[in-house]
Amino acid sequence: MTTSAAPSRLQLFLGMQQVALSSFGGGLSAWSERIVVEDRHWMSKEEFITGLTVARLFPGPNQINMAVYIGSRFHGLSGAVVALLGILLLPFSVLLLLGLSYYYLHATLAVDRVLAGVITASAGMALSMGFKIAGAYTRDPVALLLAGVSFIAMSVFHVRLVPLVLVAGPVAMAWYWPRGERR
Amino acid sequence: MSAAAATATAAAVASSVCQAVDLSDWRNLLAVIWDFLSLSLFSLGGGNTLLNEYHHMAVDQYCWLSSRQFADIYAIAEAAPGPSSMIVGLLGMGAAVKEGPAWALLSGVVAEVSILLPSTVLMVVAALSWNRLRNSPWRVAFERGLGPITLGILFSVGLKILRISDHDTPAYAVSLVVCVLMLRTKISPLWFMAVAGVMGALGIVNR
Repeated sequence: MTTSAAPSRLQLFLGMQQVALSSFGGGLSAWSERIVVEDRHWMSKEEFITGLTVARLFPGPNQINMAVYIGSRFHGLSGAVVALLGILLLPFSVLLLLGLSYYYLHATLAVDRVLAGVITASAGMALSMGFKIAGAYTRDPVALLLAGVSFIAMSVFHVRLVPLVLVAGPVAMAWYWPRGERR
Repeated sequence: MSAAAATATAAAVASSVCQAVDLSDWRNLLAVIWDFLSLSLFSLGGGNTLLNEYHHMAVDQYCWLSSRQFADIYAIAEAAPGPSSMIVGLLGMGAAVKEGPAWALLSGVVAEVSILLPSTVLMVVAALSWNRLRNSPWRVAFERGLGPITLGILFSVGLKILRISDHDTPAYAVSLVVCVLMLRTKISPLWFMAVAGVMGALGIVNR
């Protein structure tokens, strides 16, 4: 699969904006791949998948990291900023408008009752996040122990995220440090 | 303070005794910016692991929002187009609501920029040096080690959101059904929120 010439900063911005626009209603990841790989040939599928791996590994929202990855591959830091603006500008503006109407207008009873229903659905979505990735760890007792300890520390003992990661992180990294033949 | 702003913050004030600080005082603003900047690099697993910290900051530490408002803006961020981690913009907005819409908008943008800045810079470095990083033992240990911790934190976050959102049996039932459908089907979450919204309007589920 051939890739075309590197996109300019303007093309990056417009491309990422199209990803954002197309994904109104969901499926950001799928749209990103369709537009970047299939429509515009900026990257091969393999390069794109490598990017997703990096985006998931490093801190930050996955789809935003992916935009940063794509932008910085072509134009370094300035490319990253342009791609970021492209993917965020429209959805973030919509969100701010929703936020303004929520904070300043939501006093009406009807809106409040609809929201009372909507939050039960979003709570279910939040609950599903853990189960979604749990499958990868069910056959590793040490991983389950680490997950259990982290969960109890946070939910029962109210340990904050930063100290939890700073203590449990190095312990877990030491255990999973690659040791040639052992794993 | 305008009448509209007073209504919007009434719930936050009623639920706790502490008062939110004014973000138009630059020292308060800098403290908040620093909080978001320093959380940025801890957003494992796509950022959702930070939700408990956001709740702690906004509800317990700075009293910007009530738990109930937090549940609302989480739902709004999930329903809105774009990455749901943009909830930080809504948090920043909530922090400055009583100072008027202009401050609220500015505060929302500043909060979002603060949470994204450090992780973006790190991501640029990662993208440009990935070929050297990819086979490093640090990379392998980080990926395998932090995965299980992320798992535990995500369960903790799910439980927290569930607790602040649901207060009676029908509400818990809807959440559980949505959770199972999220895992078993590929139906767009927007449908779940639409149906649950109608159930709320009809009075089937309540706060």
